[in-house]
Amino acid sequence: MTTNQNRPRHYELVRRIIYVFIALAVIVSYFYHPKQDFSPWIEVRKVYDKVESLSPGDHLFISIDYDPSSEAELYPMCLSLLRHCFKKGVIPIVMTPWPTSVGIAKKGCDEAVDDANSMFGKKVVSGKDYVFLGFRPGVQNLILKMGDNLKGAFDKDYYGQSTQGMEALAGVSSLRDIKLLVDLAAMGTVELWIAYGTDRAGIPMATGTTAVMTPDLYPFYQSNQLIGFLGGLRGAADYEKLLKIPGRGERGMPAQSATHVLILLLILGANIRMFAGRFLRKKEGLS
Amino acid sequence: MSDHPQADEIQAGATKRRQAIEMGALALLVVVFLTVSLIRQNPFAKDADPAKAIGLIVAAGLTLIMYSFLYRDNPLFKIGENLYVGVSLGYTVVITWREFLRPLVYQPLFEAPTAAAFNNSLLHLAVPVILGILLLARISRKHGWISRYSYALMIGWGAGVAIPLVTNSYILQQLTAAVKPLQEAIGPQAAAEPFSQAWFAGTAGPVLGALVAMIGTVAVLFYFFFSVEHKRFGSAVSKLGIWFLMVSFGASFGFTIMGRLSLLIGRVNFLLNEWLNIPVK
Repeated sequence: MTTNQNRPRHYELVRRIIYVFIALAVIVSYFYHPKQDFSPWIEVRKVYDKVESLSPGDHLFISIDYDPSSEAELYPMCLSLLRHCFKKGVIPIVMTPWPTSVGIAKKGCDEAVDDANSMFGKKVVSGKDYVFLGFRPGVQNLILKMGDNLKGAFDKDYYGQSTQGMEALAGVSSLRDIKLLVDLAAMGTVELWIAYGTDRAGIPMATGTTAVMTPDLYPFYQSNQLIGFLGGLRGAADYEKLLKIPGRGERGMPAQSATHVLILLLILGANIRMFAGRFLRKKEGLS
Repeated sequence: MSDHPQADEIQAGATKRRQAIEMGALALLVVVFLTVSLIRQNPFAKDADPAKAIGLIVAAGLTLIMYSFLYRDNPLFKIGENLYVGVSLGYTVVITWREFLRPLVYQPLFEAPTAAAFNNSLLHLAVPVILGILLLARISRKHGWISRYSYALMIGWGAGVAIPLVTNSYILQQLTAAVKPLQEAIGPQAAAEPFSQAWFAGTAGPVLGALVAMIGTVAVLFYFFFSVEHKRFGSAVSKLGIWFLMVSFGASFGFTIMGRLSLLIGRVNFLLNEWLNIPVK
């Protein structure tokens, strides 16, 4: 069994050198990045097309199921989706079932509202052009409740405005009145939203998830339980590219590429060393 | 103690020297960090926002402390780790109180404007609040059994609601999606023009995918099925299952690497762009 004690002495040094190389690749990419051309994934394009097909006044529901530890991947997606909504006049309804996500959800709303003003010249108002409902606990129960009565689950929004008679929620009584539901998730909530929310309400659903979770989404995508998804930082970059508003996603792509190339070179180098060592040992053994 | 006391002494001396060098390097890094922070984010500057500047310095410091684990586990990392857990918990408690317990439980019961409003709140909240309080009985070894009433309700209700919904979403709809391409391949529409260009483009791909998924599922399940000895044909199926598992793990591992690097990229962007104020090109 391999333990820290019986590892080769140079192991720690090599490990640290690899970390330094990875850090350098990311830092250098920040200062120098050749223009990269990449075509968005079909899964992302489907989400973009769906939002693009919505009419002004339609409602898009965004559930923030990530906390600051996943900000790097999911925050750019949240920002792009909100910008897209404000650009098109679609009304986003934002909420979170996690207490640690409240701050980051509010930050996303505030930044997108500022962007709507500076980018599209629109003055976006809470309660009229968007709703930030804030936090309620109990994921499954909350989803079930919203499936029957959204305003019953959230009687007030985050800012204390009553949801009854709120202009932004006109025509919305439950999840069934939503045109698209997007779950931005770093936790296992996608399956819950599918089972308890969208399959039950019969509304289309898309997701934006961390790269780690992305492979698990394909079965739901192939069964049309998801219309599409944004996977990791690449998914965020794809959406920004389609929206033609560059952000943190696209900015991170050169560093992603540089580190991936570095990792491939390290794997190649380690394999060459292993096979060369094996060949030499065999040769010494024979001679 | 080993049989060579002199060697032990040399070893102890080397360890002490290394620790002294590490402590010196750490002190130097702290000084460099504070100097750079004061130059780039001076909270005492005339036009500075002190709260924002101090927040950025603390965030940058904690980021670097967490990454110091890559060199070795150290006391600063331990402080950062405990701070993370403590702050998360504290934040959760405050938000839960501010956003949920105070407006929906405390205010309707203890700040009810009229007696009628209080009675109405009591009627709606009494049972859930009591069941919630019963859960806290778990803390006591003697009275822990009381919490079983709440758990029984939670599990019974949860299972009752979950079983039909989960069966529909995770089993029936998945099975339908798995079988649908095969059904379409032998359906009347496909039979009209079998093996045409459109058939290959529209039907053959999904059919192939469905067959691969079906074979893969059976092979992987068989790999974990130990009631039959894996010999001859069984061995071949089992090996195929391993291949499917390896492909799946490879895809997951690739995405995991991508995810972890994204987190690093996010932090480096924060350090360079926000802490050091270096504009993005």
